[in-house]
Amino acid sequence: MTVGLLFISCVAMSTLFLSMALYVAMAIFLGGMGWRIYRWIRTPVPLKIVLTPGPQKFPGVLRRLVGELFGFRALAKADRSLWTPAWLFHVSLLLLFLGHLGGLVIPHLAQTTLGLNEKQFEDMAQVVGSAVGLLAITMLVWLLIRRLLLPRVRWISTFSDYFALVLLLLIIATGNAMRFMGGLNIIQAQRFVAGWWTLHPVAPPRDPIFAVHLLLVCALLIYIPFSKMVHIGGAALFSPTLNQRNNPRQQRYVNTWEKNNGNSTASS
Amino acid sequence: MEIPQLHPDAAAGVQAYRAKKELLAPLGLPPELPPDWREKALCKFKELLQQRRSLSLYMDICVRCGACTDKCPFFLGTGDPKNMPVARAELMRKVYRHHFTAAGGVSGRWAAGEELTDTVLKEWFTYFYQCSECRRCAVFCPFGVDTAEITMAAREIMASIGVAPKYVTEVIKKAHETGNNIGIPEAAWIDSCQFLEEELKAQTGLDIKIPVNQAGAEVLLVPPSADVFVNTDTMMGYARFFYAAGISWTTSTYASEAANFGMFLNYDQLKKVNLRMLDAARQLGVKRLVMGECGHAWRAAQAFMDTLNGPLDFLAPPCPEHICELAARYIRTGRLKLNKSANDGLTVTYHDPCNLARAGGLLEEPREILRAVVNDFREMPANTIREKTFCCGAGAGLLTDELMPTRMNGAKPRMEAFRTTGATHLAVPCAICKAQFPVAFKHHKIEAQVVGVMDLLGRALVL
Ligand code: HEM
Ligand code: SF4
Ligand code: SF4
Repeated sequence: MTVGLLFISCVAMSTLFLSMALYVAMAIFLGGMGWRIYRWIRTPVPLKIVLTPGPQKFPGVLRRLVGELFGFRALAKADRSLWTPAWLFHVSLLLLFLGHLGGLVIPHLAQTTLGLNEKQFEDMAQVVGSAVGLLAITMLVWLLIRRLLLPRVRWISTFSDYFALVLLLLIIATGNAMRFMGGLNIIQAQRFVAGWWTLHPVAPPRDPIFAVHLLLVCALLIYIPFSKMVHIGGAALFSPTLNQRNNPRQQRYVNTWEKNNGNSTASS
Repeated sequence: MEIPQLHPDAAAGVQAYRAKKELLAPLGLPPELPPDWREKALCKFKELLQQRRSLSLYMDICVRCGACTDKCPFFLGTGDPKNMPVARAELMRKVYRHHFTAAGGVSGRWAAGEELTDTVLKEWFTYFYQCSECRRCAVFCPFGVDTAEITMAAREIMASIGVAPKYVTEVIKKAHETGNNIGIPEAAWIDSCQFLEEELKAQTGLDIKIPVNQAGAEVLLVPPSADVFVNTDTMMGYARFFYAAGISWTTSTYASEAANFGMFLNYDQLKKVNLRMLDAARQLGVKRLVMGECGHAWRAAQAFMDTLNGPLDFLAPPCPEHICELAARYIRTGRLKLNKSANDGLTVTYHDPCNLARAGGLLEEPREILRAVVNDFREMPANTIREKTFCCGAGAGLLTDELMPTRMNGAKPRMEAFRTTGATHLAVPCAICKAQFPVAFKHHKIEAQVVGVMDLLGRALVL
């Protein structure tokens, strides 16, 4: 029994397994998202269905989309008690993403940009990273509680909605756990990521939590393209109610799939 | 207004009457449910997914955040959870997940998919005909998910297997046969216009015309036919305005209806019904097309006509123009003489018809007119007007007696907002709202009257 577990965890933490899992997950994620986005773009929009009053010119459309993408403006209009956790959660997610990018994927990027020495940087990463992680966890818990307690939202929730929240909670919790337990060797993690990235996998840090964290991330990557999580592809950008110009009378809008368009079919 | 508790299935028993063979066949729809209806419906579903990004995207991206759940007037009025926009959309989305996604195939129940069955079809027919395609939900959605698009697609799929409401198909059939939704023949139209001319003569002592089929007029005005027979003050308001502005105009008996019920059924009919107006404009050789006080007619014409039936370059821009735009333009440039005090004694507030506000971008002009012709004009609470306006409760083919419980419940948010103003008159440029509100006032025990915007302008015009 114990031997078995030990064996499984050894395999799980081995260079090959973790790296391969991440390759597979990343391929599914990129391929899946590419396919979904390609399908959205390819599908025609037969009519002008922009929500009015809407912008008539492109800069206005850009402002509308940026407002939705970065400010969640519609959500703010709808419900402040949803906007707050949703927005803070997404911001913390963005910061965590940038943190991983600047601290792990491109080593020294954040450190040199901020002009810190190795020690200072590690201290900062420790504090800021943990704080943002905690913020994200708090917001996720808030969203989860909201989902469970608000009867209307509970009514519409499916397994997938809880699954996404719990999965994220676990990912961020394991991320923070590595820091709090002080077990993680950042340099080893950087080497692992650099090796993976350049297709020369090296051994991951010898920390079971790291393996769990990474495998959960793989699960998330695979899950995203096939669930409501596809919205991370910037769904608002493709949404005709938001991305069209409100100018049907200034410029003729053509339905691309209707061949015999026009007034030749006059009855009477 | 207060958000109701959930009352599951509270509105499940409210269903439109189904159209039978004699209404379906003339519109090119199967006269009855075909034996292989599931395959046919799924085939149509697939076709629409490929033709409409709104549908395919909105099937995919809803995160079920619930921001829209308390925004629908029909949920607020009934408390039926399936009238929450996201839950309404989920009725279709669950079928999408089951039949069209990898996750639905792989993980069945966990992916919350459901096969298209009789029960689901019945549910569709119930709840997609309790949505007025008002788009209020879309305003509050972080991705602009427009449940009206989903409702339209569901209705189109149902129509393709011969499942459609009696009311909507009947109206479209009449529009094809007589040119208007009430089924009034040409002679009666001419009679009524003459009668209204006499009425105008009695009111003003002037020879104010309501021309019919007058070739070579500058403007073809297409009103909702109800303006000629029911909301006659609105019709006389148009006449007074054209008289005062010195614009030559005409109505047409071939296109005696602005309203386009095709929009409530399918793309095909939307296109066909629209076309009559352009044919009439061509026949009469007019220069401009002006739409009367009708909400969804404005959407069908302003947003869709050029795409569906265009190019419209044989008419002068802006084409089409709304009567309120035209009148506001004349007021702005000082070409009308107005006596505001003619409307003294009325306290007026304005109801934005959904299709003018959220689908037609016409928010300022009616207000400009009202401010110019009424001394006591006040707005309803900010979260119930403009882009956040509440549907009257009867749009998109709901204006029929058998749906009365849902109509009255759906009107509730608007009625409550109206109550806060203390107004005596509710001005609204839409024939469906004008038919719905008097009934809703009575139901909600409010003493008030409904008027058209052009009625009030007509009264204030110094002729
Ligand atoms: C277009 C801009 C975006 C908007 C408007 C948006 C909006 C939302 C909303 C409303 C929720 C639901 C919260 C809940 O009630 O559970 C959500 C969840 C989530 N979003 Fe976004 N999001 C956007 C972009 C992104 C991006 C770029 C990411 C990429 C990391 C992302 C990741 C997530 C995750 C991980 C969840 C939580 C899981 C869930 O509840 O399904 N989102 N988003
Ligand atoms: S607001 Fe939009 S994303 Fe949120 S539940 Fe409603 S439709 Fe879905
Ligand atoms: S379009 Fe209007 S009626 Fe339909 S679900 Fe949305 S808010 Fe409700």
